[in-house]
Amino acid sequence: MAETFDIAIVGAGITGCAIARRLARFDLSICVVEAANDIALGASKANGGLVHAGYDPAPGTVKAQVNARGCELYGAWAQELGFLFCRTGSMVLGFNDEDRAHLEKLRQNGLANGVPELAIIGPERIHELEPRASAQATCALWCPSTGFVDPFEVAIAALENAVANGVTFMRSAPMEAIEVADSGDDARFTLATPAGDVRCRYLINAAGNGAAHLSHMAGAEKFQMVWRQGNIVVLDKEPRTLMPLYPVPTPVSKGVIVTGTVHGNTVITATAAVREPGDTQTYASDVNALLTGARKLVPDLDTRRVVRAFAGGRPVIQGTNDFFIGQSAVVPGLFQAAGIQSPGAASAPAIAERMELVMREAGVELHERADWNPIRRAPDDFDRAPLACKEELIESDPAWGQIVCRCETVPEAEIVAAIRRQPGAVSVEGVKRRCRAGMGRCQSGFCQSRVVAILARELSCDPSEVLLEDAGSWLVEGPLKGVR
Amino acid sequence: MATFDMRDGRAEVGAAAPVQTQAFDVVVIGGGPAGMAAAMAAHKAGARVAIVEREQHLGGILRQCIHPGFGLSHFKQELTGPEYAQRFIDQVRETDIALFLDSMVIGIDRGSDAPCASDVEAHTVMLMSPTGMLRLTGRAVVLAMGCRERTRSEIKIPGSRPAGVFTAGLAQRYINIENLKPGSRAVILGSGDIGLIMARRCTLEGISVEGVYELMPYANGLRRNVKNCLDDFGIPLHLSTTVTRVIGHDRVEAVEVSQVDERLAPIPGTERVVPCDTLLLSVGLIPENELSVAAGVELDPRTRGAVVDQSLQTGVPGIFACGNVLHVHDLADNVTTESERAGAAAAAHALETGAGVAADCELTVSPAGIAGYALPGRITAVALTKLSFRVRRPVDAARVRILAGDEEMFAGKVRPFKPSVMESFPLPVKVIQRALDLGVNEIVLSVDPVEEG
Repeated sequence: MAETFDIAIVGAGITGCAIARRLARFDLSICVVEAANDIALGASKANGGLVHAGYDPAPGTVKAQVNARGCELYGAWAQELGFLFCRTGSMVLGFNDEDRAHLEKLRQNGLANGVPELAIIGPERIHELEPRASAQATCALWCPSTGFVDPFEVAIAALENAVANGVTFMRSAPMEAIEVADSGDDARFTLATPAGDVRCRYLINAAGNGAAHLSHMAGAEKFQMVWRQGNIVVLDKEPRTLMPLYPVPTPVSKGVIVTGTVHGNTVITATAAVREPGDTQTYASDVNALLTGARKLVPDLDTRRVVRAFAGGRPVIQGTNDFFIGQSAVVPGLFQAAGIQSPGAASAPAIAERMELVMREAGVELHERADWNPIRRAPDDFDRAPLACKEELIESDPAWGQIVCRCETVPEAEIVAAIRRQPGAVSVEGVKRRCRAGMGRCQSGFCQSRVVAILARELSCDPSEVLLEDAGSWLVEGPLKGVR
Repeated sequence: MATFDMRDGRAEVGAAAPVQTQAFDVVVIGGGPAGMAAAMAAHKAGARVAIVEREQHLGGILRQCIHPGFGLSHFKQELTGPEYAQRFIDQVRETDIALFLDSMVIGIDRGSDAPCASDVEAHTVMLMSPTGMLRLTGRAVVLAMGCRERTRSEIKIPGSRPAGVFTAGLAQRYINIENLKPGSRAVILGSGDIGLIMARRCTLEGISVEGVYELMPYANGLRRNVKNCLDDFGIPLHLSTTVTRVIGHDRVEAVEVSQVDERLAPIPGTERVVPCDTLLLSVGLIPENELSVAAGVELDPRTRGAVVDQSLQTGVPGIFACGNVLHVHDLADNVTTESERAGAAAAAHALETGAGVAADCELTVSPAGIAGYALPGRITAVALTKLSFRVRRPVDAARVRILAGDEEMFAGKVRPFKPSVMESFPLPVKVIQRALDLGVNEIVLSVDPVEEG
């Protein structure tokens, strides 16, 4: 028996979650269908977290329109959804006259795209804004609207808010087939997944790197996509968070960027190389290129303190290099958000806004619900809580005083909350993305076995059934000795 | 525009919370072998002592070290880790040392900034536990937090990121504490002592060990562990070889290993794929000094532990450090010996019983030759000083020399040195006095290989 919805959104990355959150305000039944067992496991997971301001997309492109707008919307989204967002501003550093000419071009681009308050500045102002920026930098494009977020947190917060407003989340549901009925009846699309079938009237493709495949499956546009792989490195926390520093961009990417994170780490992002689809391996050459590139921008960066290196693929539509956001020209009722590569995270709120507009224009009736709640209460964060709140939390439940992850100061109660929230964590990495247990410098060396025990208890399963991430990623085989 | 600007650090608001305070002479942070030895020594010196331990039990990492090899020098008897720890736990339990278990220190403040040097200012240690927050004050604080394991990320092993890559200590915890089997077929990277011990443990528990791979051209662990843990079990040790790729999407399916050249760079064409479901890493230990740094303690980039003086006092008066948080030791017995000194010195500081015993001076101690570090890094009193160091690479013939300016003040016997062994020897008062007479401000500890005749 298939469940029927007005809208099915395929893909619970940052794009799909943002769209779900945007559409949850309307009187519609919505289901988010995700191939993996958790939110943000594709391109959104391998993301540097920068909310780019929008000065680099070519004016007139879809990217140009949604990037600056997305960056603008982040402030309101952060407040409503309770995720961390630092709008620190950023600098693109130039080292010679050629760079300066390039910065001027970027500034013009930015003005055309509606990016506010861009300015070319000199060495003195550069070091006033970021004392650790290279002393070799002679000029910079100062962009006050740039910021950064934790990309998992944004996706999780958006979907939590959507689910709280009645959206259904279906995980571990990779698309096996899509049947499209000829007539425009109430449920034209039938989606077959191992987790059950879903029928819907409108289908939104937010499948990230799977978007081309999904489009083909539905008989719609045949996108040719390339896997532009990027490696990213996270360094340990610093006493003072770095402002995002960019090099002058290359034709295919923004180059190696150094940025602080909302949790005080430093991220170096990202390389760009076309590789086999699905390749999420890190490469020694890429990691070295990141560390070398970063030291050009921040010479005193201690690049030995690598906490994590990871990689993912940017979903790039070959040829256009642009986002495709609109109704399919081939299959009416199918709405595409395809080719959402960089700056996808920065654009997510605006992509959602644009999707709403596209749907309205296509005649989809959207009536706002009276009971829609835009606010999501963020989970309590012990590490950040003021002393008085810490006391109160421990008083409310001793599990708040039981630290499990020592690097990030995460108590047991926070881990339990990460599992019990809707949609909750079902894996060790899912716990990590929600409350940072295991995210720190020891990379779960001290806490992994404890997190496994908590997951096993909360999910009523055996430790051998606890997964690191998705199906097949078992951590322990089972008991060594005694009764099996 | 909502801006959550955290660039000014994590200023805490509402600090007027009614947190209780308890006062001690010496607060020891960490209840492992270092913390317990320091606490006992401070207690014997007459100080009121507290131990703060984040686990439910004292003993630290020794609790999961169920292999023998402990106590040979301290107790003249071979014990397992838990047995060794228990001896100290029993001693501590017989005293009135206050135990704060299940308690995590979230900050040490630098004490008040009162300029009056003669008055011993108390440090404040903020801790939390399931029963709430608590503030301890200590006229002296002993840092004994131990170390953590280097991770895959720090040594930048490329490839995929599946389940099944564990630090050796985590695997040891799964096996020895949780009774869980982390896999069936393991490759071990790193021939440090934990890696060697785990090769044997895995074998005994029915996990086949495909081999131990070591980047360096020599084993990093103690000789006795190579023999007892690898040779006796027929486990191959592949030197000058490292893991160059992790393979497998969900769970480890194999690792690619490559030989390395003399600059430790992988040699193209030597790649070999070793099927396995588990990769254990024993690639070094790092003193856990995040609390120390936050308290204003200066670290030595060589040891990644505090810069200390001859009494193991850090640059922050009243804060002492010992054990693996100071420098990574080879044997728990050596941790005990060092920590007893730190505990006694902390008590003397707290009770103001040590002042005026020795004349003040200010000398730095620097390593040279193949010495990787020298500890203590500062000498501030003309007194017998225990110097510790490790060499960076093994040599068959070398000698220790102590230099001050151009003068060689001491030269040891020619003998072999190994990086796995922590060396120490006493620096006599007359050598320190001589350096001061020469008017230098630095003593150099040099380990120099010699050509054999």
